[in-house]
Amino acid sequence: MNDHSINRSKFGTIGRRGLLLGAGALAASRLPMPYIGNAAAAEPIKIGMIWAKTGSIVDQAEYLAQGSMLALEQRNNTLLGRPAEIVWLDEPNPQGAQQNAERLVGEHKVVGIVGGALSSFALAISAVAKKAKVPFIAANAAAGALTGSSCNKYTFRLQPPVDVHTNVLAPYCASIGKKWYVLTAAYAFGQDIKKSFTDYITANGGQVVGADEVPVGTPDYSSFILKIRAAKPDVVIGGIAASDLTTFLKQWNELGMRGKIPFAEIAVGNTDLWGVGPEAADGLFTLTWYYQNPNNPPEEKAMAAAYAKKYNRPAADKTWMGWMGMKALLDSIEAAKSTDAAAIVGALEKWNMKRGAITAGYRDFDHQMTNSLLVAGIKPKITDKWDYFDVRAELPADEAGIEKAFGSKANSACKMDSL
Amino acid sequence: MLDMILSQAVNGLVLGFLYVLIAVGLSIIFGMLGIVNFAHGAFFAIGAYFALVLNREFGWFAALLAPIATGAVGVAVEMLLIRRLYGKEPLLGLILTFALALLFEAILRMMFGGAPVPFTAPKFLAGFVEYGPILITKYRMFVLAVTVLALVAFWAFLAYTPFGRIIRAGSRDAEMVGLLGINLPIVLSGVFGIGCLLAGLAGMLAAPLWTVQPSMAAGAIMPAFVVVTIGGLGSYVGAIIAGLLVGITTAMTIQFYPEWAGAAMYVLMAAILLVRPRGLFGEKWERFE
Repeated sequence: MNDHSINRSKFGTIGRRGLLLGAGALAASRLPMPYIGNAAAAEPIKIGMIWAKTGSIVDQAEYLAQGSMLALEQRNNTLLGRPAEIVWLDEPNPQGAQQNAERLVGEHKVVGIVGGALSSFALAISAVAKKAKVPFIAANAAAGALTGSSCNKYTFRLQPPVDVHTNVLAPYCASIGKKWYVLTAAYAFGQDIKKSFTDYITANGGQVVGADEVPVGTPDYSSFILKIRAAKPDVVIGGIAASDLTTFLKQWNELGMRGKIPFAEIAVGNTDLWGVGPEAADGLFTLTWYYQNPNNPPEEKAMAAAYAKKYNRPAADKTWMGWMGMKALLDSIEAAKSTDAAAIVGALEKWNMKRGAITAGYRDFDHQMTNSLLVAGIKPKITDKWDYFDVRAELPADEAGIEKAFGSKANSACKMDSL
Repeated sequence: MLDMILSQAVNGLVLGFLYVLIAVGLSIIFGMLGIVNFAHGAFFAIGAYFALVLNREFGWFAALLAPIATGAVGVAVEMLLIRRLYGKEPLLGLILTFALALLFEAILRMMFGGAPVPFTAPKFLAGFVEYGPILITKYRMFVLAVTVLALVAFWAFLAYTPFGRIIRAGSRDAEMVGLLGINLPIVLSGVFGIGCLLAGLAGMLAAPLWTVQPSMAAGAIMPAFVVVTIGGLGSYVGAIIAGLLVGITTAMTIQFYPEWAGAAMYVLMAAILLVRPRGLFGEKWERFE
């Protein structure tokens, strides 16, 4: 089934007796009050959600979707005093993501969309958001174009772009050695990583001794690993996402490379490593969030606790991203006191959240969220099947560092349009 | 450079044998039953998950039962659903097996979640060996040995056992086999079960190498279709030769033109179909004409 209406699905479990009792209680609750209902009050506010239900990114999308749904559940499924519901559609490929975004707008009349698990999907949804004038939060995509050359007034992006991740991780890699091998996915995210890390190391006196682009969904990396082994680099820079990264790391370990040549990659998901297993997990990474980070603000700790209670497992970074993306949209609808798209966009541009020494929020000139990242390695001995990472640094550490890492308006490739 | 070519060729052979194992099941199901089984990748995933659960609960040797369990699921599916389609419009088979593929993926997702589950090779198969420039892991050697053994055993079964002879005869003229008093429905259930068993065996062997998750079928089904098409639909020998060709071509493309790695097997398929539209060993089968 392609549609998933959260509130409606719950009704299926209510029996006849429960329905009668509920109807009776509802009727009784209305007795003392004057009837002031109208058509608008009865109509739920619909929020669109496009996270993959099929394909290579589905493992991350499960956590993204659960985080997004939790954000609405924490408000008792109400917005502006009205019932609210999420309509969840699939993103099987960029075309499918675009078609489903059009369905959300045309058929379901959603007031905003959260989604875009892969950069190519997010770019497709962003084009619809611009055309249909509907606010869209891209909560997971990292390709630079989204808030760069392809930016628009209705698209907001939570994940820091590849350049920011590179600025944080590349100095650590360069301190290991200056001969890098770059293995990246053959689409926007991977190509950004390839360019970004290649630019960094050549500008810092090093060299790329080999570079391969890998098709998405590659089941066997052994031939690529043999090439890397022959090239003898100091560090391997990865740019492969989700289950592809899981497969690569399993085979990296199987071919005896784990611990021999350091592996580094930006923006990895917790689930990617959970699937690798403690025996094979390896690498140095940037993460957007980690449930064991003691510096997480109280609101995020509460979210993580609510998630763990509901799903009986810790919140992944993707849970936080889905939650944070949806929370920003819902907060902004409340702040705008309206479902009008222009008012929500205005409120999103002003939305922010205090996170330790920095304030996370969307910049008005490119709609990129500014935030800090975690640099993390794999624990030497993993004893908890969920707790794989040692957080080594949280960067940028202050507001001055944020501007340096994310760049200024003058450096931005975004030519923001008007509403 | 010669060292690298040799090393990649050996590596490609191992990958090719895994593809062969996936494709042979698909090929015999088409050859005997006339069904293009889109759910074959799902049986591959089911084999991996059976291995995962059996390994977790009872250890690695119990995981060896995963292919048999997958074959049993296949027999049940054939008896409940597939057999209703024999002799009917081929499109119905495509639709049913495509729906089954989606259904099995959804069931796996419901039972195990969408996220990958860790699964590594047993400790006694960890490590690798080097012969000059050739590096091969012990686990891949194990995969190679099991695959060759399974293929030889299956060939002997078809060639030398009475059941195998009935299968071969039934694939050519089912009506005549029935008229001779042989219970063909049971034979066909067995064939579908054996095809699924082979897919389950491939899933079990691939689980420590690939990512174990409900959507892992996608990584198996496309190469399997390419291998079967190149080899010729229904041809056992064709599937073996085509699988090895695809494995070696992929490995060599990664070495010399990595950006073409994903497209290499499709280019190979297109080139072979231009010369031989029925595939390398494809024959004219009266019942499918």
